[in-house]
Amino acid sequence: MGATLRALRALVLLLGFYLLSLVLLAALIGIDVLVASWGHGPLTVKVGFVTVLLAIPVVRGMLMLRTPKGEDGHGIPVTEADEPRLWALVRELAAAAGTRAPDRILLTGEVNAAVSENPRLLGLLPGPRRLYLGVPLLTGLTEAQLRSVLAHEFGHFTGGDTRLSALVVRGRVQIGRVIGQFHEKADDKVAADRARQERASAKRIAKGKKGKRIDTTGVGATYRTMAKIYTAYGKLYLRASLSTARGQEFAADLTAARIAGRDATASALREIPVLSASHDFYLESYATLGLQARLLPPRGEFFGGFGRLLTARELELAGLRSELPEEPAGPYDSHPPIAERVRRIEALPADGRADEAKGAALALLTDPAGTLAALEDAVLTDELLRYPRAAGWEALLDASMATGLSAAQTPLHRALAQYTGQPATLSALLDVIDDGRLWRVAEQLPLSEVAAASKGRAFREFVRPVLRRSLRTMVLAEFSSRSLLHWEFSWSRPATVRLPGWGSRTEDDGPEAALDAAVEAALADHPDTAQLRALLPPATQNA
Amino acid sequence: MTVLFWILGILAVPTLIFVLWLAWVFLKELFHPSPDDDAEATEAAQAAQAAEKLGLLPAERQNTDFAAPLPAEWTAVLTAVRGGDWRPAADLLAAIGRDWERRSALAYLLADRAAEEDAWLLAWEAERRDDPDAAVVRARSTVILAWKLRGAKTAQYTTREQAEGFHRTLVSAREEITRAAALNRDDPTPYIAEIWVALGLGYPNAEMDKLWAEISSRAPHHYEAHFSALQYWCAKWRGSKRLAFEFAERAAADAPLGSLLTALPLIAHFEHDDSEDTTADNTPEMLARVEAALQDAAAADPAHPRLPELRHLLAFYLHLQDRNEAALEQFKLVDGHVNALPWRYRGDMAGHYCRVRNTVVQAVREPAAAPA
Repeated sequence: MGATLRALRALVLLLGFYLLSLVLLAALIGIDVLVASWGHGPLTVKVGFVTVLLAIPVVRGMLMLRTPKGEDGHGIPVTEADEPRLWALVRELAAAAGTRAPDRILLTGEVNAAVSENPRLLGLLPGPRRLYLGVPLLTGLTEAQLRSVLAHEFGHFTGGDTRLSALVVRGRVQIGRVIGQFHEKADDKVAADRARQERASAKRIAKGKKGKRIDTTGVGATYRTMAKIYTAYGKLYLRASLSTARGQEFAADLTAARIAGRDATASALREIPVLSASHDFYLESYATLGLQARLLPPRGEFFGGFGRLLTARELELAGLRSELPEEPAGPYDSHPPIAERVRRIEALPADGRADEAKGAALALLTDPAGTLAALEDAVLTDELLRYPRAAGWEALLDASMATGLSAAQTPLHRALAQYTGQPATLSALLDVIDDGRLWRVAEQLPLSEVAAASKGRAFREFVRPVLRRSLRTMVLAEFSSRSLLHWEFSWSRPATVRLPGWGSRTEDDGPEAALDAAVEAALADHPDTAQLRALLPPATQNA
Repeated sequence: MTVLFWILGILAVPTLIFVLWLAWVFLKELFHPSPDDDAEATEAAQAAQAAEKLGLLPAERQNTDFAAPLPAEWTAVLTAVRGGDWRPAADLLAAIGRDWERRSALAYLLADRAAEEDAWLLAWEAERRDDPDAAVVRARSTVILAWKLRGAKTAQYTTREQAEGFHRTLVSAREEITRAAALNRDDPTPYIAEIWVALGLGYPNAEMDKLWAEISSRAPHHYEAHFSALQYWCAKWRGSKRLAFEFAERAAADAPLGSLLTALPLIAHFEHDDSEDTTADNTPEMLARVEAALQDAAAADPAHPRLPELRHLLAFYLHLQDRNEAALEQFKLVDGHVNALPWRYRGDMAGHYCRVRNTVVQAVREPAAAPA
């Protein structure tokens, strides 16, 4: 299909959206007229009210002519003077792809690179172009891979993909937005209804009656029906425009392979899902580690640590790269599956450019460390930025673990508090164990059906894992509250606890093993807390 | 108006007749309940009466814990441990000594108690450190505990908590098995317990072969060992139909008469037979297997603790092969205890046993009652 034909189809589909909206409006007006001519005052008012409510999202959808400006996104705008080498690279690649270089470059905090253009006059005139470039992407890619990613993005502009697709995208966005509005309204209504029912139910309970089950099915059904009409059209729309979208991805991949080399392109395609998953993991397990303790990593490290993680887990990542994510693309996904794209690129003849530009892409920046620090100011919320900084990753880990342990409420805490009627403390627990009443406490634990039905040894065996975990946590919390605990930080492994007296570093006779053995002895059928008491810091023993 | 009454009256007559008939039927049933029409139920009741006349017990009086009555001494020992006294158990195990068949059986029964509550066993272990008898009961009890944690349902209906407890406990049992085996090097019992670890942890066949070498060098024709290993080789656990039959046939062929291992091919057949009719149970092979088992049972020591298990199987297959009189002979010898194959897998094992037994009784009675 030629470009003109594609544009024509996109236009027809977009017009179809307006036609659908007009038909719906006409139907709503028709209902009003019908009811009004039929008479019956209050009904007319009510129906009129409902139709107006339904018409609002439709009209709003029609009036929103402009494609919504993609959130400008938080990032650092960099000028040619700031980053001459990056700009030179970008210009070179745009030229090689046969398109205009962007007007602005924004460095962001995501694993993503995107070129956006806000075309004017329904995409007939070009608008300002922006390049969004994720710093974590620069951290994880080599220069050659970055070239390939950028070449792919510029490849979309060759042949006017994006300008034509402005129409397609507009339609997609607009339909999506209308559907979204209807669902939002329906959700609001459901929430309001739920709140009302909950209030009513609370009243019934207050009066000593049984609370009614809260049921909101059917609420907001009119809104959902409207959404369904648009969804149906949206599906048609997507199906018609998807083959184009996927074809354009393949074409952009070919451009990237031509400009940046086959191997760099294939490896970049393999790398990005891995980077994306690793970055999620990094944010979750490292960068935001101290949030509970209201601490941030040292300045520059919030994004800077990602590079260290990648280096430390190189072996693990190599395994991930070699296996391609095989999940089938959804029927409405505009991107073909990565595996398919990699296969197509790797099937190209070798171009002998395997060893180009192996250096890290981050080195393209004038002052990588300065950029990583500045990015925090641009991306993190003000509230977060006000948190104090830890002295280092080790200190961050220690602080956050200490906070976590001091707040820990294990199932055993709750069971013990329930059994004794006192706040749960370790020394109280040890006394209960010595009295031979641990299994009475265990009966207060949340139990599965099978565990609750079991007796004797089987029961004890069922509750032992949770007892073991809880008691261990309680003991560690005891050490931690006396600042006797140290955690070993690692970029490649989960944090490991280090008890006082850790020095021999042999797994079998260190304090670690002693702790495990002592916990085990305290929970045995014939419990013995002496070992555990001996291990604990003196203050607890006297308690 | 009168016309209307006439019409209503005429319509009321059949309704009235119907109501009266219903009332009559109701009253009749109330004072003279008609015998249940269900011919099958009548027959079953007659069969049950006939069985009772022969001195066979009704389902509710069948013991579902064992396959046969325990020796009085054993019952006393089990009662004693329940009360916390382990000494009679220790004495009895010591007295049994190297009678491996009895040792493994008694160790199992004690371990089954210890899997519920093991205070007495802990006391025994505390007083006699490194007692091989306590060690073997300990090892077996942990294996049994693991299977209790798992529950009797198929893997699909076993919860994650159950599966994890099962696995963890089986793993911890291995250490105890090794210890028990080291304390009494001639005893095959710890290795027999390990077969059930092999089932649960899914030992590869090569591991099982090694384990089997340990057992057969100590007790080449041990019934419980063979029974357990056959479970491992069954298709539902870690083997296949072919492997199970291979194992069973070889064991039966190599064993001397009276060792009861002729039960194995019957069990292999029972475990892999999904057919609805009795064709598969009447093949020349099956006829020969049953015949061999009859001779085996006749030659066995009448006090062999496993003989009743073979008789239960024989009774079932003799019936399926229409040798009801021979089947009845076996039923008479084992009646009263039903925890054995082929009944054991049923939720209502006593009911199942009695239904089959009563059918046999009826079948034996009928040709006798009919004029020649």
